[in-house]
Amino acid sequence: MHRFANPARFLRLARPLTPALFWLGLLLALGACLWGLFAVPTERLMGDTVKIIFVHVPSAWLGMGGWMGIAIASLVQLVWRHPLAGIAARAIAVPGATFAAICLMTGSIWGRPTWGTWWVWDGRLTSMLVLFFLYLGYIALANASSEKGDTSRVAAVFGIIGAVNIPIINRSVIWWESQHQKASITLGGSSIDGAYLAPLFVAVAGFSLLFGALVLMRMRAALAEMRIDARMRRMADD
Amino acid sequence: MAHRKGVSTTLDTNGRWWFGMKPKHQRLVLALVAFVALIGAGFIAAAALKEEASYFYTPATMAKAKIEPGKAVRLGGMVQKGSIVRGADGVSITFIVQDRDATQKVAYRGITPDLFVEGSGVVADGRLRPDGVFVADSLLAKHDENYVPKELADIDMNTAEHTKDTLSK
Amino acid sequence: MPHLPFIIAAFSVTGVGMLWLTVSSYLAMRRSEALADDLRQQP
Repeated sequence: MHRFANPARFLRLARPLTPALFWLGLLLALGACLWGLFAVPTERLMGDTVKIIFVHVPSAWLGMGGWMGIAIASLVQLVWRHPLAGIAARAIAVPGATFAAICLMTGSIWGRPTWGTWWVWDGRLTSMLVLFFLYLGYIALANASSEKGDTSRVAAVFGIIGAVNIPIINRSVIWWESQHQKASITLGGSSIDGAYLAPLFVAVAGFSLLFGALVLMRMRAALAEMRIDARMRRMADD
Repeated sequence: MAHRKGVSTTLDTNGRWWFGMKPKHQRLVLALVAFVALIGAGFIAAAALKEEASYFYTPATMAKAKIEPGKAVRLGGMVQKGSIVRGADGVSITFIVQDRDATQKVAYRGITPDLFVEGSGVVADGRLRPDGVFVADSLLAKHDENYVPKELADIDMNTAEHTKDTLSK
Repeated sequence: MPHLPFIIAAFSVTGVGMLWLTVSSYLAMRRSEALADDLRQQP
């Protein structure tokens, strides 16, 4: 892991990886959305609104996965002082928050015709909303860090503590009598028919690759800002 | 030179960008905002869950509770098989909500959610009429974790047999 | 209830979100990297 601690080495890898992840991700995500929109059968009870699953589930996965990324990067930052870890955690925050918001909104849109409501305060929906607020808190703390590219320890600690919400989201449909149905895809298998499962997997893969590309772009921006910062300081000293 | 001016503005985001506040104070304020947001979210959730608990009845608890007619409460249970009767006007509907021990007749006017079928879970907000019928202002239908294409569904289109076990617990 | 408006709304929300993320991240990266390269070339 420390092989990539060197920003120069990281950039040598990140520069070609960014467009590769982006275009492959875009291809898969767009393909899965078209597949999902035009080539899946109508669902028994929900009818055509089942198609919303192809944007709702990937955004839920990335909203939660993003916070796990922040938590792991924050841990690496605090324990091993890895110079890129704080930058990575910070780069994940805005895409993660956006996906959490997309998840909440598409879920709300899906809930109206199927459940009969835009919103209920059940365990799953509430804990997902809390995740969105945690992202906002993290972004505020990280942006208040004193140095460019250097994420404060307060933000890192917040990132790690906030991770307790992830298992709560995951278990919420079991712990509380909830409006949201229980998990469809578990380690034991899936109760989603193959006709929906195949494009769903492609959508999750595609959006994940796009997420990776976005994080790399943001890390590269932060590293460049750091270089500008250092250069300006040197010029000021002369 | 032109772009150097640009540099200084990008760098100043970490300087004094808030009413001339010192960076240290900015951090303090932002940390406070973050924690207030967190605690606020917790309170909202707690209040919502608490409210849920105090107004929620199943047909069995409703029969025992002697709720006065006109009081706003929430009724949850399962739509009894064969009990949905749609009115001639197309928007009125009556059905029976059941749990393991009791049943409750419900009347509703409006468009029902897509997942509202016989055998599905339902949550109704409304009040009891003096004649004992529960008049719902809104209906919530539950989904189970299964996603099945229409043409593959070997069970009756208008039922959701498999939700039974999740609700009768 | 008609389904099409809900499907269109959900996919639009996702599309707008992705577009905003992509454009803002890409522009931030390009601007900062160009500036950093410019500064390095200066004496």
